[in-house]
Amino acid sequence: MNLLLQVNGAPVQVDVEPGVMLLEVLRDRLGLLGARGACGVGLCGTCTVLLDGEPISSCILLAPLAQSHTITTIEGVPDDDPVVRAFDRHHAFQCGYCIPGMVLTARSLLAECARARRSPSREQIAESLGGNLCRCGCYVKIIDAVQEVGS
Amino acid sequence: MTWMAPRTVAEAVRLKAEWPEATLVAGGTFVGILTRQGLLASDDWISLQDVRELRELSTGSELALGAMVTHRRIELDPGVAAGWPGVRQVFAAVASPRVRNAATIGGVLGDADYASDPPAMLIALDAWVEALSVRGLRRVPVADLIVGHYRTSLEEDELITRVLVPRGRHHVTFRKLRTRSREDRPCVAVAASLHEGRVSVVVGAVAERPQRFPDLCATWDPADGASAGEIAAGYADRIDPIGDNRGSAAYRTGMIAVEVRRALDTLAPAALTAQAAGR
Amino acid sequence: MTDPRIRASMRYPNDLTVPGMWHARLVRSPYAAARVVGIDTSLVPQDVVVLMPSEVEPLGGYGCQISDQHVLAGVARHVGDPVVAVAAADEATAREAAGLVEVGYEELSAVFDERDALRAGAPLVHDTHAVSDGDAAYFGLRPLEGTNVCHRFRIRTAGLPQGEPYTADPEPDDHADGFEAAQVIVDETFRMPAAQHVAMEPHACVAGWRDGRLEVTTGTQTPFNLRQDLARLFGLPDTDVRVVCPPMGGSFGAKTFVRTEAIAAAVARRLDRPVRLALDREEEFVTLTRHAATVRVRLGATRDGRFVAKRVWCWVNTGAYADCGPGVAMKMGYAGVGPYRFDHVAVDSFCVYTNLPPAGAFRGYGAAQSVWASERVTDLMAAELGIDPVELRRRNLLVDGDRFCTGETMHDVHFQELLDDAARAVDWRPGGDNRGKGVAVMLKGMQTPSRAEVDLRRVGDGRFEVLSGTAEMGQGAAQAIARLAADLLGVDADQVEVPPPDTDRVPYDTRTTSSRSTHMMGRALEAAVEDLKHGGGDYGHGRVVNEGGLDVDTGQGIASSHWHQGAAAAAVEVDDETGLLTLRSVHAASYAGRVVDRAAAELQQEGSMTMAIGTTLFEELTFDQGHVVGPNLSDYNIPSALDCAAVSQTLLEVEGAEVHGLGETALPPVPPAIGNALATLGYRPTELPLTPERVLGCAEDAS
Repeated sequence: MNLLLQVNGAPVQVDVEPGVMLLEVLRDRLGLLGARGACGVGLCGTCTVLLDGEPISSCILLAPLAQSHTITTIEGVPDDDPVVRAFDRHHAFQCGYCIPGMVLTARSLLAECARARRSPSREQIAESLGGNLCRCGCYVKIIDAVQEVGS
Repeated sequence: MTWMAPRTVAEAVRLKAEWPEATLVAGGTFVGILTRQGLLASDDWISLQDVRELRELSTGSELALGAMVTHRRIELDPGVAAGWPGVRQVFAAVASPRVRNAATIGGVLGDADYASDPPAMLIALDAWVEALSVRGLRRVPVADLIVGHYRTSLEEDELITRVLVPRGRHHVTFRKLRTRSREDRPCVAVAASLHEGRVSVVVGAVAERPQRFPDLCATWDPADGASAGEIAAGYADRIDPIGDNRGSAAYRTGMIAVEVRRALDTLAPAALTAQAAGR
Repeated sequence: MTDPRIRASMRYPNDLTVPGMWHARLVRSPYAAARVVGIDTSLVPQDVVVLMPSEVEPLGGYGCQISDQHVLAGVARHVGDPVVAVAAADEATAREAAGLVEVGYEELSAVFDERDALRAGAPLVHDTHAVSDGDAAYFGLRPLEGTNVCHRFRIRTAGLPQGEPYTADPEPDDHADGFEAAQVIVDETFRMPAAQHVAMEPHACVAGWRDGRLEVTTGTQTPFNLRQDLARLFGLPDTDVRVVCPPMGGSFGAKTFVRTEAIAAAVARRLDRPVRLALDREEEFVTLTRHAATVRVRLGATRDGRFVAKRVWCWVNTGAYADCGPGVAMKMGYAGVGPYRFDHVAVDSFCVYTNLPPAGAFRGYGAAQSVWASERVTDLMAAELGIDPVELRRRNLLVDGDRFCTGETMHDVHFQELLDDAARAVDWRPGGDNRGKGVAVMLKGMQTPSRAEVDLRRVGDGRFEVLSGTAEMGQGAAQAIARLAADLLGVDADQVEVPPPDTDRVPYDTRTTSSRSTHMMGRALEAAVEDLKHGGGDYGHGRVVNEGGLDVDTGQGIASSHWHQGAAAAAVEVDDETGLLTLRSVHAASYAGRVVDRAAAELQQEGSMTMAIGTTLFEELTFDQGHVVGPNLSDYNIPSALDCAAVSQTLLEVEGAEVHGLGETALPPVPPAIGNALATLGYRPTELPLTPERVLGCAEDAS
């Protein structure tokens, strides 16, 4: 079937079998390698992309379900984004495999907090990022970075 | 391969009747996992993504949640928080925000995953579902919906359209005992709700389906310090729990006794206040 | 520009695609022990290629320390052992085809427990033990023919007799072990189960042949070992194999020695085209694990708290293939002695085959298992003697000039300071009420001997290139090397490039393990910069070795040219009804010597501590007839952001000191610090992880 997707602000057409996941469309068809598959069950968060600004697991999202939504991947986040800069300043990464998912999820949290005019606490940040696993264990610095942007 | 995306509930049930082999897709989470893991290879799909009616949420004399309403939306809705604190609490307890963005209430009930949090609470709140097919509408209490391991009492051609939760259950508690990571599925979950002097206690995550024993609940005397423990021991005695990486069957039995007692103890002050007020 | 890892501006091994490449998938044994008696590929489509065990058998065996593995298994020795490989033009076809291969097996007897494997009647996992002559077999290996022991490591301090060849059920002999002067003896047995590394990026490689040369791009911490093993397997000179290692999405020991590369190379040779082999998460659990180990510690002391003697037995469950298990068993053996003075020490550490998936390098490299046991026993002794646990340690900790049980003289050791720092972090009250608090202190070795070489080239105006075999897996090796070089050259770090290792370009380095790289490469760079300055300024080469090694029969010699030293403290609460253990705080203090990159150092500490929390509270591989129960991240939990709320750390530096590696130091002391804290609350933990059920199970009062 033919899918019309909105990816990082641009319309994209792909022809796929209905049972294909959004992750494979992004990686194999569009060359966007920032979303990764690491667990196959939507738990680890490395496949995180934003759908209408909200994080979802692209590895278990049937691609047709992504139509009529805006999709944002890490490639759609500019280098001068405040969250990206904060991660860089705090060195909130080691191997980097989970970081795009962390950045996207954090941006979504911070946008929600901005709308509500509040700063997230460390516990709230941890809660928001609880589904993004980092085996390198960068949680402390990641929360530092997000807290700084949110304050 | 066919991807069908009906626009109305009527069209959806019609397609469900015409395509009995087709896989129904709500939020897509469960179906996505099964497909990715190679446990489901569907040729035909019926997606509810475009059925607007199923995304309606209304608060009135009852809470009406369309089947496609996401966990996240339920968690954040101010009307739900004000009138149905138990519903808000249990949907907020599921997994992570990212999972809650995609998972739907219809999906979580239809999947009948024994470890899911919402069914236990919905049963404790006396909620029911509306199940629609070309043959008409059925109302099924959530208590009668999940009948076995990932099995519901729905007919093949039935679709959950709405979940309805009656008003007035403000004294609720939801306990989720996780034995490992804070992102883990529960080892034992207990939902308890107080309404008009009656307590309803439901234990989830320990067996194929949520476990409730109204006869035991009816014996509760919040003024008697030993009563909660006796009821809890009764639940532990009657339930034959599973064992898995989260805890052995014996451990679960022990924890059912602890968590049910703690749930009742949490509700006791409100129950006593209500009794004193003569309600 | 921000670091490329943040916005995915760099490529991992898992991302690599090559024009014309095919995809390989593996058919794996469902039995823990079985002979392959037939392979039926009649259902496999014509355009799918199948590689059989018989085709690769002529290549012979391999193994970094014991040569006990084959490219494909004609005899499967664990559930998940690869038996057949299939390859197709696209991954979906290969995946489907793998499911259509029918393999007939004749089941054999299997053994799973590391002590059962030593007891009478246990089936032999391997009939013979052939010691490898590769670089990784750098110490004397002692396999015991006719048994499941592929290596035994032994320490006997002067005057103690050698002892039994092996046993699962030792009878302590206080005379032979030097316990006569001990007035109080504590003897307890502990266990740490198998675990999995769960690097976020699964294993992936692409192998291809070009003009008779094998080229492999893969995630590996051991490029030169891998090159050597592949060369020998395919009958090539080392220089006809090229290993390229892009930065990995984590490894923690999982991506070491030969993993997927030999199979991919064999398939690529058959197809005469490049082949990608990438593993699913489920497959990771049967590829490499952390050694389960049973450790028994017998400690003797005088009544006034002076340690007299220590007897340690380690049974190290290396699974179906030895991999670097012998080295792990050695390191586990001496780490289990701990940073203390003794009159007499006897250690026997057995690396034991079982029919479980193979165990290998895992952050801590054996230290975690024995330090768990050793530091719990220290506290058990303190309780027995009625002496404050911090004070008891103080009386016995090694200081500069003391001899370790290997006979080597300790230098630049700071155990006391580290312990004091950890104790302060939990507000330890000397001789007072420290309920809910625990401490631990440990030492861990750095690979000795080893060698590091580095090339340094001027590549432009004030720009330099460092050619180093150190692999990047998130620890920040490349940036640390750049910074070290920049400091020595007097330029900014961004004027120094450190490309990922390519064995065609970089000089030899032992491997990126054992937290050795910053230290060894740092020293090699000093030599290279000197060489560059003397040679005209365009090129320099540096070569350093750290000498030493242990006599494998007595454990005497130099275990480590310098020591990784760490202490930890924890404050905990327990729900006595559910057994749920809550960490109020966890602190690790590690000796850094000199910190090169502060952020990276802190991250390594925090990362080690996070992994340690998983090890202590919930990480455990359980097996059912050799099958991993729940090989997925729902059933196997790793710590999330919500699980490590209150961690803190100290990096101890000393003016003029050597750089000390920090990749692992903060892991081993954390589990016993938590276990010791729990023990003050009426529990006697011996088995990890401390799940709520296990906590209840070790409550001291049976009610």
